Amino acid sequence: MSAVDERRAQHARYKEDVQREGHPFFPYAMFHDTVMSLVVVSVIVGLACVWYFTGDPDKPGEEGTGWLGVIYEEKADAGTTSFTPRPDWYFYFLFYLLRIFKWPDSVVLGTVGIPTIALVLLIMLPFLDRRMERRLLHRPVAMVAFVLTVVAMGVLTYKGATAKEAGAAGSEVVDKWMTDNNLPEDVRPGAELFATSGCLNCHTYDGSGASNLGAPDLTDIGAQPGKDVPYFERYVADPSTFGNNVMPKFASLGAENLHAIAEFLAASKGGGG
Amino acid sequence: MAIPSRKKKQGKILTLVMIPLDWLEERSGIVGGVKYFLFRKVPRDTSWWHTLGSATLTAFLVQATTGVVLAMYYKPHPDTAYESIERITNDITLGWLVRGMHKWGASVFIILMFLHMGRVFLFGAYKYPRELNWIVGVLILVLGMLEGFAGYLLPWDQTAYWASVVGINLNGTAPFLGPFLAWFLQGGAEIGSNTLTIFYAMHMLLIPGALIGLILLHLYLVVRLGVSSPPWSDVAAGRPRPTVTSNGRAGLVNPAPRSGKAK
Repeated sequence: MSAVDERRAQHARYKEDVQREGHPFFPYAMFHDTVMSLVVVSVIVGLACVWYFTGDPDKPGEEGTGWLGVIYEEKADAGTTSFTPRPDWYFYFLFYLLRIFKWPDSVVLGTVGIPTIALVLLIMLPFLDRRMERRLLHRPVAMVAFVLTVVAMGVLTYKGATAKEAGAAGSEVVDKWMTDNNLPEDVRPGAELFATSGCLNCHTYDGSGASNLGAPDLTDIGAQPGKDVPYFERYVADPSTFGNNVMPKFASLGAENLHAIAEFLAASKGGGG
Repeated sequence: MAIPSRKKKQGKILTLVMIPLDWLEERSGIVGGVKYFLFRKVPRDTSWWHTLGSATLTAFLVQATTGVVLAMYYKPHPDTAYESIERITNDITLGWLVRGMHKWGASVFIILMFLHMGRVFLFGAYKYPRELNWIVGVLILVLGMLEGFAGYLLPWDQTAYWASVVGINLNGTAPFLGPFLAWFLQGGAEIGSNTLTIFYAMHMLLIPGALIGLILLHLYLVVRLGVSSPPWSDVAAGRPRPTVTSNGRAGLVNPAPRSGKAK
C-alpha cells in the first residue's frame, strides 16, 4: 500500500470509528466547551476589574498605575522625545530579537529575515512533517522543535519584558562622560540634551542607556571618518535621508538643540573611555 | 368544558415552536444545518484539550462585541482620540468595563491562539487531511497579531504613538516593499490623522473582516474533517485494526482497546 493509500485508509478508519463509537457534539463536547468559554469570559472580566479598581483612572501615566499597569498613558505628543518605544507584550519576542542584531548591517535579519523564515516554516509544517505518526514519543524531531520553540519564545519574551529602560540620565552621568571621554566643556549642553531627550532609550553611551532596536553605541561615533557636526545635525533631524528608517526624526528639537547634540556627538571620539 | 390535558398543551406549544422552524427549514435548510452541527459525532475521547479552539472563538466574540461598543464612542482623530478614550473610561456607564475587557481580551485571545496551536501541534492534528486547516489557523494567528498592532495606536497615548512610529519604521526596513508599506501605513510623510484613520479602518474593518472569513472557513473544515483523538488514547478514532496483522507488520500495530477504558 502506498503512503497516500495508507493515510486515506487511516482517515476512513477514523470516520468509521467516530460513527460507530463516537458521541454527539451536543451535549458532550459542548459541555466542556461551554464551561471553558465561561472561564475565558470570567478571566477577561476579572482582568478588567483588577486593572480598573487597583489603578486610579483620574491620574494619567505612572501615577495611576494599578496591579495590571496604567489606566492611561500620557497623551501622544510628537514633540516630546523622551519616549519609550514599547510594543504590546506579545511582540516582545520580536522587539528583543532586534537587540541581538545591530544596526545597520544585520538588523534586517531581525526585522524581516528571521520572522519571515519562522512564518514560512510554520505554514509549511504539514508538508515538512508528512508522517501519519501522532504519538509524542514517536516524533522526537517534532518534540525537540516544540520544546526549543517554546523555550526561545519564552526567553525572548522574558528578555523583552525585563529589557533595561534607560529613560533620562542625570547630570552625574554627564559628568562621567565629560571626564571619561575627554570632552571639551563647550559640548556639555549637547551632552545634557542627549541624556534627557530619549536618545538613551535605544542608544548606549559610555555604559549608560539601553541597546534597543539595533541602535549602536555612540561613545566613539565621532571618531568615524566623515562624521562631523553638519553630518550629525542632518542625521538626527531626519535619519531616513541616510537610509535609517528605524530611528524617528528629531527635527522637532529645533536647529539650536540639534547643533548642540551634533557638537557633542562629533566630539565623542571614545577618548579615555 | 373539558380542561385540556397536559399532553395536549405540550403538543400545542410544540406546534407553535415547530411552525416557524419548519417555515425556516423549508426555505433555507438552516435547521438541518444546525442539527448536523450539534449532533455530528465526535471521537469519544475528546477532552478539555479540545476546548481551546472554542475558547479562542469566545475570546474573539468578546473582542468583536466590546469593539462595536467602543466604536460607538471612539473618535479617530489626533485631537479627539485620547479624550474619547478618557470619556469612555470615566463618563460612559460601564465604559471602563468595556474598554478593560477589550484591552485584556486581546491578550487572552493571543494566548489562547498560541495554546490552541500548541495543542494541535502536540496532537499531530495538522497532519493529513487537516493540512489546509493548519494553514488557515496560522493566517488567523498572524492576522490576530496584526489586529493587536493596529489597535495599539488607537488610544493615541505616548506608548502607542512611539511604538507605532518604531513599528512603521521597522516595516520600512523590509527590502523592496518595505518603504511602500511604511508609506501606506503612515498615510503620508508623518504620523498624524491619516495614520490614525488608516489604523482605525484596518483594526475595525479590514482585519476583522478577514478574520471572520478565515474563522468560518476554519470551523467549516473542523466540522467537515472531524477532530482528532488524543494521540495517547487507547480508543483513538482511526486506530489500526488488529486484523491488519495479516500483512506481516504485526509489530507496528497497536493492540485492541484495553477493556473498560471507554468513557
